[in-house]
Amino acid sequence: MPTVSVKWQKQVFNGVEIDTEQPPYVFKCQLYDLTGVPPERQKIMVKGGLLKDDGDWESLGIKEGQRLMLMGTAEEIPKAPEKGPVFVEDLPEDEQGTAALGHTAGLVNLGNTCYMNSTLQCLHSVPELRLALKEYSAAVGTGIDPSSHSLTAATRDLFGELDRSLRPVAPVRFLTVLRSKYPQFAQQTNQGLYMQQDAEECWTQLVYVLSQRLQSVPWDEQPTNTVVKHLFGIEFKSIIKCEESGEESSESETVYTLKCHISSEVNHLHEGLKHGLKSELEKTSPILGRSTLHIKESWINKLPPYLTVQFVRFFWKRESNQKAKILRKVNYPLVLDVLDFCTEELKEKLKGPRKVYREIEDAKVGIKKKEKEGAEGVKALQNLGTSTSDENVEMVDAEQAPSSSEKVNAPEPEVTGIYDLVAVLTHKGRSADSGHYVAWVKQDSGKWIEFDDEQPILQREEDITKLSGGGDWHMAYICLYKARVAPPY
Amino acid sequence: MAPENSKDSHAMDQDVQPPPSKLLPKEAKKKKEEKKDEDLSEEDLALKQQLELYVERVQDGDPAIQKMALEAMRQEIRTATSSMTSVPKPLKFLRPHYGTLKSYYEKMVDSELKRYLADVISVLALTMSEDGDRESLRFRLQGSIGDIGSWGHEYVRNLAGEIGNEFQQRQTDEQPVDDLMDLVKQIVPFHVKHNAEPEAVDLLMEVENLELLTQHIDKGNYKRTCSYLTSFASYVPEPDDTLVLDIAYQLYCKFEKYPDALRVALRMDNTQYVKSTFAACKDLLEKQQLCYILARQGVLLELDEELADNDEQRELLQELISNSKLSEGYLTLARDLDVMEPKTPDDIYKAHLVDGRASAGASVDSARQNLAATFVNAFVNAGFVQDKLMTAPSMESSTGSSSGSWLFKNKEHGKASAAASLGLIVLWDVDGGLALVDKYLYSNDNHVVAGALLAVGIMNCGVHNECDPAYALLFESVNKEDPTIRIGAIMGLGLAYAGSQKEEVLDLLTPIVQDSKVGIEVAGFAAMALGLVYVGSCNEDVAQSIVLALMNRSEAELGEPLARFLCLGLSLLYLGKQDAVDATMEVAKTFHEKISKYCQVTLDSCAYAGTGNVLKVQALLSLCADHLEKGDSHQAPAVLGIALVAMAEELGLDMAIRSLEHLLQYGEQNIRRAVPLALGILSVSNPKISVMDTLSRLSHDTDSEVAMAATVSLGLIGAGTNNARIAGMLRNLSSYYYKDPSLLFCVRIAQGLVHMGKGLMTLNPYHSDRFLLSNVALAGLMSFLHGSLDMKSIILGKYHYVLYFLVLAMQPRMLITLDENLKPLSVPVRVGQAVDVVGQAGRPKTITGFQTHTTPVLLATGDRAELATEKYIPLSSVLEGFVILKLNPDYQQDHLSS
Repeated sequence: MPTVSVKWQKQVFNGVEIDTEQPPYVFKCQLYDLTGVPPERQKIMVKGGLLKDDGDWESLGIKEGQRLMLMGTAEEIPKAPEKGPVFVEDLPEDEQGTAALGHTAGLVNLGNTCYMNSTLQCLHSVPELRLALKEYSAAVGTGIDPSSHSLTAATRDLFGELDRSLRPVAPVRFLTVLRSKYPQFAQQTNQGLYMQQDAEECWTQLVYVLSQRLQSVPWDEQPTNTVVKHLFGIEFKSIIKCEESGEESSESETVYTLKCHISSEVNHLHEGLKHGLKSELEKTSPILGRSTLHIKESWINKLPPYLTVQFVRFFWKRESNQKAKILRKVNYPLVLDVLDFCTEELKEKLKGPRKVYREIEDAKVGIKKKEKEGAEGVKALQNLGTSTSDENVEMVDAEQAPSSSEKVNAPEPEVTGIYDLVAVLTHKGRSADSGHYVAWVKQDSGKWIEFDDEQPILQREEDITKLSGGGDWHMAYICLYKARVAPPY
Repeated sequence: MAPENSKDSHAMDQDVQPPPSKLLPKEAKKKKEEKKDEDLSEEDLALKQQLELYVERVQDGDPAIQKMALEAMRQEIRTATSSMTSVPKPLKFLRPHYGTLKSYYEKMVDSELKRYLADVISVLALTMSEDGDRESLRFRLQGSIGDIGSWGHEYVRNLAGEIGNEFQQRQTDEQPVDDLMDLVKQIVPFHVKHNAEPEAVDLLMEVENLELLTQHIDKGNYKRTCSYLTSFASYVPEPDDTLVLDIAYQLYCKFEKYPDALRVALRMDNTQYVKSTFAACKDLLEKQQLCYILARQGVLLELDEELADNDEQRELLQELISNSKLSEGYLTLARDLDVMEPKTPDDIYKAHLVDGRASAGASVDSARQNLAATFVNAFVNAGFVQDKLMTAPSMESSTGSSSGSWLFKNKEHGKASAAASLGLIVLWDVDGGLALVDKYLYSNDNHVVAGALLAVGIMNCGVHNECDPAYALLFESVNKEDPTIRIGAIMGLGLAYAGSQKEEVLDLLTPIVQDSKVGIEVAGFAAMALGLVYVGSCNEDVAQSIVLALMNRSEAELGEPLARFLCLGLSLLYLGKQDAVDATMEVAKTFHEKISKYCQVTLDSCAYAGTGNVLKVQALLSLCADHLEKGDSHQAPAVLGIALVAMAEELGLDMAIRSLEHLLQYGEQNIRRAVPLALGILSVSNPKISVMDTLSRLSHDTDSEVAMAATVSLGLIGAGTNNARIAGMLRNLSSYYYKDPSLLFCVRIAQGLVHMGKGLMTLNPYHSDRFLLSNVALAGLMSFLHGSLDMKSIILGKYHYVLYFLVLAMQPRMLITLDENLKPLSVPVRVGQAVDVVGQAGRPKTITGFQTHTTPVLLATGDRAELATEKYIPLSSVLEGFVILKLNPDYQQDHLSS
């Protein structure tokens, strides 16, 4: 019975006896006791050979004190995951491009068309809009306004192309249609070159046309409510007060952009927005019978999933006969809370979703409340939820705002009044009709891409907030915020 | 007389020559002399007149007067001291009488006086005789047999030069040379005594009698002599270089410098010498040092009773030779430099530093990018036994082991490379590594099993284990059904036993090479594995079987990309063996034309690899000048061949780089594609700025294959250096090529190479002060390069694991000092740029621009280290790898410094 030493991983077991009468399997069982490696997983190496379970000790010529090497672990054998990963290389050719890059293609500049390219890139970043456009069928277009139809169809085709293409897309058809619909974009200089245009104008017109054409919303039966209105429409409730007579009238209106007015005391988007909600206007007072100064104060009464904020950077400068630019630095946040600008009713309405949202966030961070408290909280929340929604119904009825009423009971997630920045359209230069427009769009992966016409450039999030103006660098002109939503309760 | 260098003597000659004026030479001369006369000081004038008198007296009839005059003249010449740059005055004044003396000498009857005069004329001839006349030598031979050294150093040197010429002349005329040899025997001791060993060596080389040297060399000057011998051996044509090295070996042995003797023996590839060095060395500590040197070169010497005193000692030494301490030492270095933390591919890509266009992070996994990440991860964490993709403990307990999950993020054959990457991560650590690989051997996925088998081979690369686990685990799988598993096992065997000439592997693999039923890819890998195992052995059996395979395969099969591995496997057998390849070359000419030329060129370039043979370089260059009809593919290996042959020494290397530049400009596309790879191997792990710039330019080439090769070569030249400049270039390339998956893959691989082993490794096959060439490492590089010649179908295709051939060349670029118990010992060392001090007198500084560190330290290519303390004496003169230090008995603690 020779004794050998067995080396296993970094351990050495000295003085292991081998019973040469028994088959090697018995020896393996001996080692199982020492190492915990099941015999069938053991590989014993003797001078370049493997010890077989039924091998012959004689032929191996084991010597006293020889060193054997044991290889094996009790570890689980790795198994392929049931669902293997999907590889880009397996995808159909036309999807490979965007999947591999993680962002869509750029748009070719067709001669001072960066205003249009950047607008399109920003709007393209709204998935709901893309979806709605995809479903836009040609049949709808046989209505009264063929040019609007063709512009919508052109937008649809262009967006489709952007989704598929790896190379920069040339929006030739879209541009032609746009110019035929809105001839102001076809202005030419003396040399016959097309002129730079205001991106905001392009944005407004495009959104307007789309709001006209995209009628049906898949999740909404009400035909009057258009996709665009649902996505971007901000409903204002304003009270117009005459300073002199004290008379008050209220009105509600839906706009597609929040304006951030820039004056000398505005340093932050928040201040600018606040500024914009209060305005003075001349209006005929029915009581006084003449036009007097009225003060208009507005509050948001309904928040859309996408909030468009425009920095009113351009004003008409009479002396130079062109739109001049305010270069003032106005900071804007990556996360915007618009609660301050809401009507009391809306604030009340937002309470529920905000609470739910906050709880979800807390849970994510890992702050776990005691179970009991939690249960109570949820109950309270439910109570709160039902009560607010009840109130809402009444309130809405009272204020005869049909457009918002059906929202209350809709099963979709609730907006919370908190918004994330998802796209920025910037301008660089001294006047709206010159300089350069660029779109900065956040991707699904959380990374930012600067779409400088046909060139997509990776950017860091920190750099996005640096586009706030105050120099000759790109400065934000239009910001697109996406609502953080809480699940319906 | 102090030694003068040739420059001075040249200046002296010019000083003496009259200004050349063809019209009136005599008049000009006269004028000049008159002028000179006027300038002479009184003292000089007296001397001149004195000498003129002597000349007259010499021609006197009276022998007594003659003798006196001669004696006086000799006296004047010998005692003349003057500055180094001008001719001694007596010689100068005797110049006009050279002709007179000569003609008188002819008339003299043979006598002792005549011989005296011959001596004087011989000395005068030093400045007077026409080029090629060798008058100095002629009169010397006719003169007295006195001590020639008394005539001054310059005279002896001149004489030595004339002997060289005369010797050649007589060799061609087949005349006896005995009288010359007598002179040589006088001159050599003179040179050796006066610190001019190189000149003694040169003279002996000229007269083809280097053996004479040994008896004159002593303890004081053997070092300089040997360093001169070993360094000029690279420039001596075969077979004289062996002779030169042999002398150096004998000298080292004579003075008991066994580590140096061993290096020379290894350079000569002479196993007998290796053994006798080992046997001659009696000191155990020094023996251990010898073991470390053997391990670095990868020579597996089986110690028997003669070589070791007892069993215990033998076991200890054998363990050192088997290199099993490598992993331990490497990790010591890593811990000391604080780089143990595993790095992820993203740490290497540094995407945040890439400005401009870059991927925003793919929403879907890309199999190719994951494969690239696998390789990058493997190269970067090579040898560290831990990483974040393959060995990391599971992060999320619910999803099971995460190591499995990365593996399965690779597609099909990618899984093989992923599993094999584990082998690279646990490189050299066989005991710990096998446990990690074990579970993959049981997988039901053939690719995973193939990768695991390859991993076993990779981790055993360069280390030997007494239980021989690699063979035990691999040999059964070699003949499995699935070709992927077979390739994995075959390649694993090749890597694990590279250079070992293990007969079992031969028996196992030759049937596969010859079997015409197996796919050409399996046969190709089998041939490669055999080539690696028998690298540079000229083994007949292996050669025979590969030759048969090349003859029996059909034309279509020989056209496959992997057929090249058959040729390369065959060629590796003759790596560096020069004309031993001739017979096989003849056979290669009979192969099918599709492969014949490729095979011939590869054979030729391998056989002369690292020899610096200029004729071969010229032959290969002329091959590249041909304009080829479509279909021939032998020019690319010819370009690689130029690099391989020329990489031997620095001068040839620089010339080769210039020649390659020409090929780039005038060569055709197939040549241009190979040039970046050739540059890559010429400067491997040695990021020279000029090469870097050339490659950077080529990496933007319009031809995508040139660009790919250049990109990979950027990785090669920066391999294991962490070179920031290359890293920056590659980052820019990654954004430049973000849309081209193939090029991006190459960029990633290059990034992985640059950060190989987190910057602690080198791929350079030369080590020990660039004196020794590791055949195995060179073979590994060649396999990789030949694989890269057809990037699209091999590295970018299914056979990306060819990249793992590089593991053969991977070595830590470290210096670890050990105490007498072989435990790491921290001592201060100076590390700096090596300076060539060969042939310089005195004790010149061997490094420049040095910094002082404490060991363990990293050494870049071209760096040299020296101890900064007198406290220890290193046992090896070359401070690289593992060096044992012993206490200096003469050391005295300096109170001031402490």
